[in-house]
Amino acid sequence: MARVGLAREAVGSLAIAGVLALFAFVLPAVDRQIPSERPVPPAMPYAVGGSVTVVPPAGASVELTQTRPGAERGSALFLVGDLRLAVVVGPFRGGLAEAEERLRRRIESTGSTPGAAGQEVRTEQGVVGRHGTYTSPGRHGEYAVFLRDSEMVQATASGPADAYPTLAPRVREWLRSITFGGSR
Amino acid sequence: MSTAHARAPATARRVNRSANKGPVSRWFANQGPLSALRAARALLARPAVWFVAIAFGAGAWRVAHILGTAVGSYPVATVTAIVLFACNAVPFLLLIGVINFLGRQLVSLRVLAFVWGALVAVPVAIQGGTAAQNVIAKALSPAFAADWGPAVGGAAVEELVKAAGVVTIALLAPTRFRTVTDGFVYGALIGLGFQVVENVVFAVNAVAAEGSDRAGPVVATFLLRGLVAGAWSHALFTAIAGAGIAYALTGRRPPGARAAVAGALVGAAWAFHFVLNAPWLSDGFGYGATGVFLAVLLKGTPALVAGATVIVLAERRDAAYYGRLLTAVNDPRIATPEEIVALVSPLRRLAERRRARHRLGRAGGRAVRRLQRAQAKLAVTLARAAERTCGPYEVARRRREVLLRRRELLASLSRWVAARHLP
Repeated sequence: MARVGLAREAVGSLAIAGVLALFAFVLPAVDRQIPSERPVPPAMPYAVGGSVTVVPPAGASVELTQTRPGAERGSALFLVGDLRLAVVVGPFRGGLAEAEERLRRRIESTGSTPGAAGQEVRTEQGVVGRHGTYTSPGRHGEYAVFLRDSEMVQATASGPADAYPTLAPRVREWLRSITFGGSR
Repeated sequence: MSTAHARAPATARRVNRSANKGPVSRWFANQGPLSALRAARALLARPAVWFVAIAFGAGAWRVAHILGTAVGSYPVATVTAIVLFACNAVPFLLLIGVINFLGRQLVSLRVLAFVWGALVAVPVAIQGGTAAQNVIAKALSPAFAADWGPAVGGAAVEELVKAAGVVTIALLAPTRFRTVTDGFVYGALIGLGFQVVENVVFAVNAVAAEGSDRAGPVVATFLLRGLVAGAWSHALFTAIAGAGIAYALTGRRPPGARAAVAGALVGAAWAFHFVLNAPWLSDGFGYGATGVFLAVLLKGTPALVAGATVIVLAERRDAAYYGRLLTAVNDPRIATPEEIVALVSPLRRLAERRRARHRLGRAGGRAVRRLQRAQAKLAVTLARAAERTCGPYEVARRRREVLLRRRELLASLSRWVAARHLP
């Protein structure tokens, strides 16, 4: 009788362990098996979140697991070879200097080192922002932050340090393509 | 209290000492060295014990890693989040204590339930929920995953992982998993453990989005997830699911009917979670923070009504059963008919204590509470004896405890009379 009870308990424990393993290991393994990059149509504005759109560089693909567009906030990650272009949109009540400071702190928290304080930059739409650079071991990056009507855009781009000078023009073009009100 | 001790006979003092000990020390006190060894060996031979130990060990390692990283990067914000959400759990624990009064479960099992939610369910739900949302983004679109991922993927994964904790407790202690109320309470504690740790993780993520170690984002998360959405969150969902699982495991109806009720309650828990996470009304009708609060109220109220209905029905059933058992003792020193009527109803029970406090002071109120607790423990022991899961020694021990508490109440009464009427 006791042995039957123990066998039932063992089967029950294995069943629960199976449920936990399904979510802790099997589902993540299935996720990893499905490709997470999808090519984006060239020269087409991509809705990031809120009212913001951006035109990804030619040949870019979107990283689906890091891209979550929403009504008020959103994020997108584009990959072009070794170049990573990330953009985050969200509501913000402060000023441009404060927004830049916040982005620089975020960059620092990822282990990168921001350069000197940023310069003024404009999108093609004419929205004024702040632009600067940052470095991490073996990589070089640029950041830009724009603010309009309490909507903030934080954009970062990074690539291999040695190849970055040739990639920089595409990054600048990408930053200039950020448009507020584009997806409404 | 000291007067009552001085007057109590030696046997009663021994019972009192035993009653004041925790369950672990009481267990060891009741074991000789050889039988303790045998009991330990029997415990280690149980697969469920090993399973729980491994799950807790792995979960603790993962949660320690998550919180350790957070404390390293944002110490002020993380500690603030832990303190705020731990305090937020206190009213829930007090409420569970009121629900739990009559068929009070073992402290060790209640702790185990809370820890399952905090250490096992959270890391598994983070892994599984993230993967589910990624698969949705890849299969459909990132926009669909952003809007519906938490409702479709998050709710399903989290509810299943938490419900697995209720089944684990039923496996680990089948004789202590006796009623629908047991399932409700264990479920509520699992959900509570889950929501405390999950809320801390959410608060730290909000801080990381800002990049500075400030308490502001933590307080904002606390207001939204702790105060506005706290009442209809994981504790409530898992309590409903736990009641369903308990009904399936302990009910006396045909298996099909039990499975149907369990399926309906677990499904309801998932549906309430789905609705709360769904993007419906997320703009708060366009009325800002007030609108968001109203939307959460509208989404959460049905879950609260369902949970209250389930526990009222379950407690009513328990009350009738335990009341009959105490009535059958037919000994007014154990429980008078009026005391039984008061004991089985939370409101009348509290009213009785208030009346005693009003007439006899705080000591009198405390004495009535202790008597009621001893009577409730005796009722549960009588129920377990009827199911042959405990012996006559346990019943006798509980009877003695009730008599001792009665003596304390009488002592309190005589002190009050002496203070009033003697010169």
